[in-house]
Amino acid sequence: MNNNVFQAESIKRGLVLDPRTKLLLLVTMSVFVLSSAGGKGLEFLAPCLCIVPFVLLLTSKKFKSTILYAIIYLTAIMMLILLRPITNGVVNFLILGTAGIVTRFMPSIMVGMYVLSTTTVSEFNAAMLRLNVSEKIIIPLSVMFRFFPTVLDEFSSINAAMRMRGISLGGKNVTKMLEYRLVPLLTCSVKIGEELSAAALTRGLGGNVKRTNVCEIGFHLQDMVIIFLCFVPFALMLLSRCGIL
Amino acid sequence: MKNERLKGKDLINVGIFTAIYFVIVFAVSMLGYIPIFMPLLCVIVPVLGGIPFMLFLTKVKKSGMIFIMSIIMGILMLLTGMGYYSIVVGAISGIIAELIFKSGSYKNATRAVITSGVFSIWVWGNYIPLFLNIEGYFSTRQGYGQEYISALTSLMPAWMCPVLLGSAFISGIFGGLLGKAILKKHFKKAGIA
Amino acid sequence: MIEIKNISFRYENSESSVLNDISTKIYDGEVVLICGESGCGKTSVTRLINGLIPHYYEGTMVGEVTVNNLDVSRSELYETAKLVGSVFQNPRSQFFCVDTTSGIAFGCENMGLPENEVRKRIKKVANEQNINHLLERSIFNLSGGEKQKVACASVSAVYPSVLVLDEPTSNLDIHAIYNLREIVHEWKRQGKTVIISEHRIHWLLDICDRVIYMQAGAIQMDCPMEEFSRLKPETIQKMGLRPLTLNYHQYIKKTSRLQDTIDFHNFRYSYKEKNNALNISNLSLPRNGIIAVIGHNGAGKSTFSKCLCGLERKFNGSVTLNGLKIKKQKLLKKCYMVMQDVNHQLFCESVLEEVRLGMSEENKDKVEEVLTMLDLTAVAERHPMSLSGGQKQRVAIASALLADKELLIFDEPTSGLGYRHMKETAELLLNLKGKRSIFIVTHDPDLISSCCTHILHLENGCVKESYPFDEIGEQRLEIYFDEIKKEVTIL
Repeated sequence: MNNNVFQAESIKRGLVLDPRTKLLLLVTMSVFVLSSAGGKGLEFLAPCLCIVPFVLLLTSKKFKSTILYAIIYLTAIMMLILLRPITNGVVNFLILGTAGIVTRFMPSIMVGMYVLSTTTVSEFNAAMLRLNVSEKIIIPLSVMFRFFPTVLDEFSSINAAMRMRGISLGGKNVTKMLEYRLVPLLTCSVKIGEELSAAALTRGLGGNVKRTNVCEIGFHLQDMVIIFLCFVPFALMLLSRCGIL
Repeated sequence: MKNERLKGKDLINVGIFTAIYFVIVFAVSMLGYIPIFMPLLCVIVPVLGGIPFMLFLTKVKKSGMIFIMSIIMGILMLLTGMGYYSIVVGAISGIIAELIFKSGSYKNATRAVITSGVFSIWVWGNYIPLFLNIEGYFSTRQGYGQEYISALTSLMPAWMCPVLLGSAFISGIFGGLLGKAILKKHFKKAGIA
Repeated sequence: MIEIKNISFRYENSESSVLNDISTKIYDGEVVLICGESGCGKTSVTRLINGLIPHYYEGTMVGEVTVNNLDVSRSELYETAKLVGSVFQNPRSQFFCVDTTSGIAFGCENMGLPENEVRKRIKKVANEQNINHLLERSIFNLSGGEKQKVACASVSAVYPSVLVLDEPTSNLDIHAIYNLREIVHEWKRQGKTVIISEHRIHWLLDICDRVIYMQAGAIQMDCPMEEFSRLKPETIQKMGLRPLTLNYHQYIKKTSRLQDTIDFHNFRYSYKEKNNALNISNLSLPRNGIIAVIGHNGAGKSTFSKCLCGLERKFNGSVTLNGLKIKKQKLLKKCYMVMQDVNHQLFCESVLEEVRLGMSEENKDKVEEVLTMLDLTAVAERHPMSLSGGQKQRVAIASALLADKELLIFDEPTSGLGYRHMKETAELLLNLKGKRSIFIVTHDPDLISSCCTHILHLENGCVKESYPFDEIGEQRLEIYFDEIKKEVTIL
């Protein structure tokens, strides 16, 4: 995850989607791919939706991830189609297990990756604000996203310090290794957190007025298209439940 | 307890600890890409998460903080593409955890350990898609044949579902105990707990 | 007007009170410096004014503080925030947002100002403070100085009438300090009241109107700047303050010239984003001396120290010491860096255990000796994290000495320290001179003049100058610092 969790710098992005659209996409993926709702007659949905992350990653110019995704997903499908009939026993079982999990989780996770790497924290906050999510959730969420890089930063400093002291991972004692890492990590993070709270409070956080947000978000043509596409599977599911399809 | 309302300071604390908790969870769940380890995550995540969580509990003095953290873990799972089930599960287990810790007036150490156990149940939400809607899932995969279905069911048989729930809870208790030990050994002395 | 009436305060969990019956008035448009040794209560005074005492830092308080007739200790923090803007010492922990524009907007958003108004203010503030190039950036890609600029901008955007700066230069290099001076100047021009608690005074001489000197929680001296700046250097030193002018004239008596050398070969390193962050093919420095590593931000100082410690995995250079060639893996064993945030390198539950961790077997009997030398015997059983900053630094040094490290690297060891603590660190380093080779990455002229024997000046990844710190060296150093001052003031 390094630095790309919600750290997108606005210049580098391709096609911009509203964060709310992205959330809808995530829900759609998890309903139809992750948990394969829809039932009989809609089995074509999951493979169709698997193209979604491919397209999205392409539009955001993440070519490396796009190719990786395509290769892994196609390999999994190939394994199911080609290798399954000719193997048996443990191998067959392993292939089915691995490929099954990959085809189920991977598309959804890739959409997650797309969302995280193309959204900025301010955009996400603005979206949550528009969705009328409570401040009590938005504030901790934004602190958290701001804090990820800090935690990782601390972590790498601690790692460096450990290497200089000649204590490194793979040592004999797993619990000691964990302790050496987690104790300074938590201590430092808590201290930075205290300073951060003080700074935020002197800038008026937690007042009795509703916060505003300068970040501009809004639905564009591309959002409309995606929202429409997201509704199609839901509509199909509804129709098939009613027995029309 | 003169001021019950959550203030900026409390909400920021929730954010900070959720960040630490999630970074640890995320680092561990890389193991989950190896399918055999997937069920094991239900054990590792709560045990390791127990350490920051117990430190977090020392900062909890008002109601709502545990619940919010639980919900945020759920939102994070949705954002990372693991589905929305953790939000639902997290909301329920979060409320229960909240009530348990509250009943010990936010300082009882035994209740804190149980709270850690209950809180950890959010992890279980990630496994639900594997069990939910199982007929629907298989009906769409008839093409792969009976063999495939039996293979998948033997990998993730239905009885695994409550087992995973239980192991999340028990591992969470273990994590709580571990966290409690480290609190005593380090954080109290270092003056941050 | 700010009025402090008979304030006494004691922090929760602390035995003695930090402020004892303080009273003063600060008039609109005044620029006031609060100085004193660490622990004198200067930071607490700033916290009184912005309301963090008693709302965030709890404790027992008597007395009254008003800012423009608002009773700060009884109003909510978000009310005070409209009047008083605060800048803190650690630029890393002042931002709630990850991008600079939202960071500047943050205060205004909290007041619920309409979006268009906030955008207008961002533009205005960015123009005033010359930071248009810093807008829309991730704060994680900014230098400390740039972050502090953005922090100042975010405070300005709320249009407060009072500004409180709590040791704002602790983590800044000289360049950034002069930049900050320009900002304070701008505030002064706008007629704002500015209160700065600081231990580095030189940059404030021609800005502040008034100086409040504190000692043990009480105001000892309160006078106009003209009067204060006429105090003799010895008086200033006795008061425990840093010198008023950057002076380089106290270099230590030259010891017999050190014959041995450390030789560096092929010190090159490139990052993904930056080619040739470090590019030194050959360099020879005196062994067992104290070498100050100076240079602008991004000159390659930290890359140099990381490579020297063997921390960069793709680094291929080597060091010749004692005729022995030391490569990357061995460097990790021979070198130790005392980081700016020492908390990163303390792992154990007691000082004794900490210094023993990673110790080589034959040093077993030396533990006592080293602890005594570093004045740590009394705290040997304490948890390292519970010690003071200086003690933590000494624990880190002790563990390095016991692990037989030959090269010690210090990253900004004194930037946040007052005069006395800075001198203590310098003494400690002088003690090690002749036994270990010491590198200090620093921007602190006082520290350099108190203990260094050699200067290594890096610029753009290359060695710009390398000279012994003697009469001539002192002049060259003076030129270096003067040039920085000119650079910024012209802007």
